[in-house]
Amino acid sequence: MASIDIQDIRKSYGAVQVLHGVDLNIRDGEFIVLVGPSGCGKSTLLRMIAGLEEVTGGDIAIAGKRVNDLAPKDRDIAMVFQSYALYPHMSVAENMSYSLRLRKTPRERIQSAVSAAASKLGLDPLLERRPKALSGGQRQRVAMGRAIVRQPKAFLFDEPLSNLDARLREQMRAEIKKLHGDLGATSIYVTHDQIEAMTLADRIVAMHGGVVQQVGSPLDLYDRPANLFVAGFIGSPGMNFLSAHYVPGENGASVRLGDGTLIALPQKYTLAADEPVTVGIRPEHVELSDADGTGVDAGVELIEPTGFGTILHLTHHGLPFKVFTVDRTHLNAGPAVKVSFPPGHLHLFDGEGDRVTS
Amino acid sequence: MTHTSSTDMRVQPKRPLLQRLAGACEPYLYSAPSLVLIATVMLVPLALGLSYAFRDVQILNPFSGGFIGLDHFRALSQDQAFYRALRNTLWWTGASVFLQFFFGLILALLLDKPFRGRGIAQALVFLPWAVPTFLTGLNWAWLFNPVIGPLPHWLFALGLLDEPGNILSDPQLAMWGPIVANVWWGIPFFAITLLAALQAIPRDLYEAAAIDGAGPFQRFRSITLPFLAPTIAITVLLRTVWISNFADLIIVMTNGGPADRTQIVASYIFTQAFKRLDFGYASAISMVLLVLLLVYSMLIVLLRQTMLNRD
Repeated sequence: MASIDIQDIRKSYGAVQVLHGVDLNIRDGEFIVLVGPSGCGKSTLLRMIAGLEEVTGGDIAIAGKRVNDLAPKDRDIAMVFQSYALYPHMSVAENMSYSLRLRKTPRERIQSAVSAAASKLGLDPLLERRPKALSGGQRQRVAMGRAIVRQPKAFLFDEPLSNLDARLREQMRAEIKKLHGDLGATSIYVTHDQIEAMTLADRIVAMHGGVVQQVGSPLDLYDRPANLFVAGFIGSPGMNFLSAHYVPGENGASVRLGDGTLIALPQKYTLAADEPVTVGIRPEHVELSDADGTGVDAGVELIEPTGFGTILHLTHHGLPFKVFTVDRTHLNAGPAVKVSFPPGHLHLFDGEGDRVTS
Repeated sequence: MTHTSSTDMRVQPKRPLLQRLAGACEPYLYSAPSLVLIATVMLVPLALGLSYAFRDVQILNPFSGGFIGLDHFRALSQDQAFYRALRNTLWWTGASVFLQFFFGLILALLLDKPFRGRGIAQALVFLPWAVPTFLTGLNWAWLFNPVIGPLPHWLFALGLLDEPGNILSDPQLAMWGPIVANVWWGIPFFAITLLAALQAIPRDLYEAAAIDGAGPFQRFRSITLPFLAPTIAITVLLRTVWISNFADLIIVMTNGGPADRTQIVASYIFTQAFKRLDFGYASAISMVLLVLLLVYSMLIVLLRQTMLNRD
């Protein structure tokens, strides 16, 4: 178990810079999830921590010790790969004990470590099998078993659930969370799946274009996204964005949409009058009422029932936005409805896309 | 099937004999064209060649050709030159295959690493394989010739030779001449096939092993070798059979000399058949070689099967 400190990490491949100075301090025992769209540099960052990619600039320290120039084997970390990377010619037990055997650990210690890990992961009956004879979920477990037998300083997960089907992914997600609770080991987990990020993380690191966009607890990112990217990336269905202009007003501030509709804001902001802004609201926060209610007119374009709730695709003067409601709606496509935007749930972003807080 | 045939019986209790015969022949008739082709192209020459082993076939003797039973094999069992050729074959094949494999593997491992100009290097590595063997033999014979070739002088300068002489005429060293030429010619085969096998190994296995704590040598031993093993088994088998039958270089470079020191079974067969013109005896030796190689191939195939079944 150890803390991991990352200072101004940069990475370039030739002229292409993929990481533009990342700073991150990971506390001992913390579960950190790196999340972002593909190509955002999250996997590269993980591989640099593992020692599989060279560091172009900056420092990585594990347990206070600079590891930039250490080989992967000397960093005392374990990694779970997306492809599992199990050794196909070794049995499950041999796969799990490989690292211990390389370290010339006494046979009894290896045996007890492997059987402890196997029983924790429910792999006992499979120890003599080869990876070929295992299902995807079992292989995933072996990959995790291989990581935990050694009790490393930190676990690195590189999209470990991407190759599983949806149901198994959900199940393994819960197992990983439970395992982290049991072992309490520092973990860094890379994923592009925001549900995994939300459910697993102590803190989420949202990345985009090689730059960290926001670091914070899952609900922090959900409730107070730092910019348009985080606001749009976290949450499904994604947040609605409406382009508007700021109106200071006499009795409280509001924004004016393109067609002149005014939407009230919860407070006044230090913005110039008529400054272009983007107002965001999550689909589940939009309030829906019948055509004779109060609010803004909208037409129903499309209805997606998910069972758990309903996603309504609406338009307001050609401006598309979504509404999520857990009520079974009796609407059909076509009719007009009224929607209102509760001020307390509005997010305001300036012209640069950054959150406006005051 | 039972159902259909019983229906047939009911509808047509007794088919004419000719029709039944035609029905029975049908599958054979369909496959006949390819079977006939295979038989004429492969089996007839083989059977004819093998039959020479039991007949007295000498090109210069018009009255030869009679059946002599096992006389050739009796003569062969007393033939000291044959036993020497057998020992030489072992030495020639073993040294050639081992060195070709060893250098081929090193070359494949080097070519597996990315570097500038790797494409050109890979193409160049393949070049010796494209040189005709007779040309290769002549080329190396000249290289070993102290009058026109540099090698004897270099070896002398390095202290490996007492004098800058021709190793091809030295009874102790002569076999090394064709072996060196053969190794040079055959490395590409191993390099290319092993390189293909190397590139099929998933990269993340090496990364997982590196994180697990394996150094370069341990990664080679626990990942590269197990993945290469089936390819190694099959290529070594093929090369062993080819090289033990491969007399071109020896015929061109030493012609079996000096004093039969480089005579292998294949070149002995060539000498018997085309120098002494005794086709019968040459055929008898070929048959012995064929049996030996068949036994060897069977052993390797069994080994490969057990290796594959283990996974």
